[in-house]
Amino acid sequence: METQRISFGLFFRHFLILIILIVFLFPIYWMITTSFKSSEDILTRPPKFVFEPTLDNYRFAFEEADFTKFIRNTIIVAGLSTILVVTFGSIASYSFARWNPGDGHIMFFILTTRMMPAIAVIMPFFLIFRDLGKTDIGNRFYLGLDQPGALVVAYTVFNLPFAIWLMHSFFQDIPMELEDSARLDGYSRLQVFFRVVLPLAAPGIAVTAIFSLLFAWNEFLFAFVLTRDDARTITVGVSSFQTQQGILWGPLTAAAVVCVVPMLVVALFLQRYMVRGLTFGAVRG
Amino acid sequence: MASVTLEELRKTYDKKYWAVNGISLQIADGELMALLGPSGCGKSSTMRMIAGLEELTSGKIYFGDQLMNRVTPKHRNVAMVFETYALYPTLSVYENLAFPLRSAGWKNEDIERRVREIVDILQVEHLLMHKPRDLSSGQSQLVGLGRALMRQPNVFVMDEPISHLDTRLRSRMRSYIKRLHIDLGYTMLYVTHDQEEAMALADRIAIMDQGIIRQIGTPDEVFHHPNDLFVAGFIGEPPMNFLESQVVHDNGSYHLEVHGHRIAIPANLKANVQALPEKITIGIRPFYIGVSGTPDEQHTLPGRVFIVESLGDATVISIDTDDTRLQVSLEHTPALKSGDDIWLALDPDYMVGFDPHSQLALVGHNGSKA
Repeated sequence: METQRISFGLFFRHFLILIILIVFLFPIYWMITTSFKSSEDILTRPPKFVFEPTLDNYRFAFEEADFTKFIRNTIIVAGLSTILVVTFGSIASYSFARWNPGDGHIMFFILTTRMMPAIAVIMPFFLIFRDLGKTDIGNRFYLGLDQPGALVVAYTVFNLPFAIWLMHSFFQDIPMELEDSARLDGYSRLQVFFRVVLPLAAPGIAVTAIFSLLFAWNEFLFAFVLTRDDARTITVGVSSFQTQQGILWGPLTAAAVVCVVPMLVVALFLQRYMVRGLTFGAVRG
Repeated sequence: MASVTLEELRKTYDKKYWAVNGISLQIADGELMALLGPSGCGKSSTMRMIAGLEELTSGKIYFGDQLMNRVTPKHRNVAMVFETYALYPTLSVYENLAFPLRSAGWKNEDIERRVREIVDILQVEHLLMHKPRDLSSGQSQLVGLGRALMRQPNVFVMDEPISHLDTRLRSRMRSYIKRLHIDLGYTMLYVTHDQEEAMALADRIAIMDQGIIRQIGTPDEVFHHPNDLFVAGFIGEPPMNFLESQVVHDNGSYHLEVHGHRIAIPANLKANVQALPEKITIGIRPFYIGVSGTPDEQHTLPGRVFIVESLGDATVISIDTDDTRLQVSLEHTPALKSGDDIWLALDPDYMVGFDPHSQLALVGHNGSKA
């Protein structure tokens, strides 16, 4: 019968969804619960699902391992590099979308800068920032090794090509007539960009900003090589719980939770915006 | 308001191909001029140069007697209606209308008053608080029109303003725009690829093709006295028929032959018949061809009915002659069916002769064109 077939299909679908959710969410569940377990509870076999929660791991991460500093560094570095990426990226992307300087060659060249893996450029970066740190300018802008400026520059350079390509289509989708109309209504080119184009490209810019922020927040390799202590970021901090005495699972998971939660909140908060931005492109007039 | 004068306007984008290739045109103060041509003929480039959105490669643009070449769009005071409406999607209808005044620094209460005035003219009060995405295409274009009317523009430019609308709405908007022009008296440039629109609206039409103007004239002039084959074929629906004919000299008298069948010489060329080239392309509109079941003095050209289309108020018959398919438009519905053999009479008073080489209309002895 019709109704039965549908309900079976529905059941099967939900069952499948459940399985997939378990596969994907269990590690996160385990990470969160582990962060609240005492060290004995973490290591018992078989693993405990019911236990007495404790905040010891968090206390350890923040008091012994100075996670407050790591978080502050990450916020500064990720925030600043995102602002720079969006600023330079939107200007560059807009001019590529409207005037296409270099007939696409420059646009392609920008993409080629992303064709090598980060590990290939990490040594040059290391040498550049080591020497920059010894100069006046380098000192003024904190561009030396183990200084946040170096990471800001590295992340900006690494994210900019991606941002330009991502925003390109958003700017292209804004009808030229809107700009024409605004110019006839008395706006200068710059005013048109700031008052007409940017507001319309907002979804695209938001998406770009989020991706850029996520990348900078989660980045490990550059931070690991370019920082030692003062400018250390949260991901490197998490990895520091792999000690010679063994892995400190409790503090490590606590730190990982602290690392994940802010981005989770950002993503949840902006989810609708992001999906709309990615799927619909910009606006139709 | 101002007259608009274009002098030898040229535009190239890649230095190889001329989008606009030397256009001179005068639009009188308060005139509605249509710029008509197929897509890619350069009419949009011309319009954008007048509005200041595009730089000229060479030439001069005057509003009144003021040279506009280096004047920014802001200071030209050109209002424009766009094919795709170009309403700001994030702003309400009210804010869209207010936009040109806000950027000109008007005070809020003045803006409010002006919006009310325009809204009264266009009857769109109920839409004021809506966003453009909630509007139908017709409503969107009304708002687009309204926004262009907000300021008192020097020149009013419309870029295919109704070609995105459906047929019924199109004819309503068309008469609406015409009435608006009569009431407000703006100097208007109306860009379109639709000859019917141009005919219905314009005081004069400039017909463009491949970057040059082929003819400028009133709708009546371009319809009855086309300058060349392009204009003749572009204006009119159903389009003008063309026949290749031979000028035959026979015992001191002249006549034309189409595949050996004798037809009359166009009335305006009779006086100057000795000066005619050997071959003439005859143009005749579908309304001026008569049909008969038997040959006689006038009905000299044989043909076979291809198809009969009854449109209610007129009947269009497609007829195959030796190598050309002609269209004939009759007010009555004749008792004809596909395959019938018939005889055609071309009315010499409405025939237009063209030189097949130069493609230009042949000019009669008294200097008048066909």
